[in-house]
Amino acid sequence: MANQSAAELKMAELLVDALNLEDITPSEIDPEAPLFGEGLGLDSIDALEIALAISQRYGLQMRAEEASTQEAFTTLKSLSAFVEAAQ
Amino acid sequence: MWRPRNSQLFIYLPYHVNTTKPMALLQRELHQPIAYLLAAIKPWGLSPGLVSVEQFLTHVFRVAAVLPDRRYAINLCENRYLFMVAFCAVIVKRGTNLLPPNKNSATQARLQEIYQDIYILHDGIEVLGSAAAICLLTTPLPLAGAPVHIPDVDPRHLAAISFTSGSTGDSTPVLKYWQTLAASAVINRNAMLGELEGTLYQLATVPAQHMWGLETSVLLPLFAQVCVAETKPLFPQDIIDTLVKLPQPAMLVTTPVHLRSLVATVVTVPLSYIFCATSPLTPQLALQAERHFSAELREIYGCSEVGSMAVRRTAAQEHWQRFSAIQFTQGKTGVATVSAEHLTDQVILQDDICLINQDQFTLGGRTGDMVNIAGKRGSVQEVNKVLLSFTGVIDGVVFMPQPQGATTRLAAMVVLADTVSTDKLRQYFRQHLDSAFIPRPILQVDRLPREESGKLPQTKLLAYYERLKNGQ
Repeated sequence: MANQSAAELKMAELLVDALNLEDITPSEIDPEAPLFGEGLGLDSIDALEIALAISQRYGLQMRAEEASTQEAFTTLKSLSAFVEAAQ
Repeated sequence: MWRPRNSQLFIYLPYHVNTTKPMALLQRELHQPIAYLLAAIKPWGLSPGLVSVEQFLTHVFRVAAVLPDRRYAINLCENRYLFMVAFCAVIVKRGTNLLPPNKNSATQARLQEIYQDIYILHDGIEVLGSAAAICLLTTPLPLAGAPVHIPDVDPRHLAAISFTSGSTGDSTPVLKYWQTLAASAVINRNAMLGELEGTLYQLATVPAQHMWGLETSVLLPLFAQVCVAETKPLFPQDIIDTLVKLPQPAMLVTTPVHLRSLVATVVTVPLSYIFCATSPLTPQLALQAERHFSAELREIYGCSEVGSMAVRRTAAQEHWQRFSAIQFTQGKTGVATVSAEHLTDQVILQDDICLINQDQFTLGGRTGDMVNIAGKRGSVQEVNKVLLSFTGVIDGVVFMPQPQGATTRLAAMVVLADTVSTDKLRQYFRQHLDSAFIPRPILQVDRLPREESGKLPQTKLLAYYERLKNGQ
């Protein structure tokens, strides 16, 4: 089991739900594992889905060119921290 | 509003396949804008703003001067302006652009293996393989030489090879001769835009390497008064931010995947045109998009082999209207064929077409084994072959779960050897497949529900998949 904070678990659930990751349990996503390429192996189509889900749930608009967005999309931990910081 | 001095520019002339008369690289006036840069291209001394046809041609010749004497150029430029310059420079140097369907290491390596006389053109990405690579941003360009002119191109010149956005490296090459590209650009201009009285500014969200992106964001600006932005935004806020900066009138060239997230945003900008293609668009989404942007949305039907062929106003029409230069015929078996003067061959369509009359048709699903995932077309059998080529797989099958939604991916059911994990299989997939075709989920089972004969009927497989999902 991965060491997740409550916020990270919430974000993991958002990811599994938005991306239909049926073979993955939210609590098993390692907060430090890469989201894209390696690790969870997400791609740009997924990035768009995630941005959409985040905008719908948190009202946050993400911009690809911003350093904060690129940083956010690194790991579950960074994505969760990004959303928390913007609340 | 600017009016064309030479109205002949906007008259469509039918071409015969075996023409030898040289054709111009572009049909524009030198002073007209062809690109709008959102960001500076510092190594080229370009500030944000308009780039004229004349400046563009200068860049084309300067880049052509530094290209190696090799036949094939894999054009991997991400910046659309640099792609366009590189594309034309390769043609001017009598080379052939290779337009790979993805940037996988396996694809790159395979292309270099097949087209040995090869080099890579890019604008700063990580390049794999042994072929010579030229970064347009770091290679010094010679000073501009003689006054710029619009070069002629032999119509029989092989300007590009497009690869059907297949699932694996060996997708079918589609040969694009200059005559076909130039003629189709004029056809598209007439069918999509008609006579333009001034410059139309374009933002496209699709890669230039994909035929839809090539036709709209590269060829259209060469043959119509279209001025294209160099960026390729993904997120809706970035798309809106860019559209706000573009001069008016503006057009958006995009796909249903992008539209879905765009209509969910609060902010909007007025547009003059929206063109959408690559995967099926629902009338509901089309209507939402039209309302959101106060613009008419036209959906274009096309394929890599032919290019764009038909159009419909999805919010209002179910029927597709063929481009007048393209003929559709349907045989007794239901197979649809497309022909046109500028195409070297007739093309059999992969889709289920139902001709209503000579000019209109409706679209069914896909025939056979091809699937469309977020605008990319691929073969399930090909992905299956990749799965079964992985040494840890004892048995396995790849399939498309039903019903298929806008972003539904292939799924895989596998029986793995004790020594391997699904993670290892995923890594293997990443090396060999376009990310859109990597199966997800990968369900590990003890046995596939095969019949005694060894066959695995689709209905049985899907039913088993449903039971597995519900059991979890």
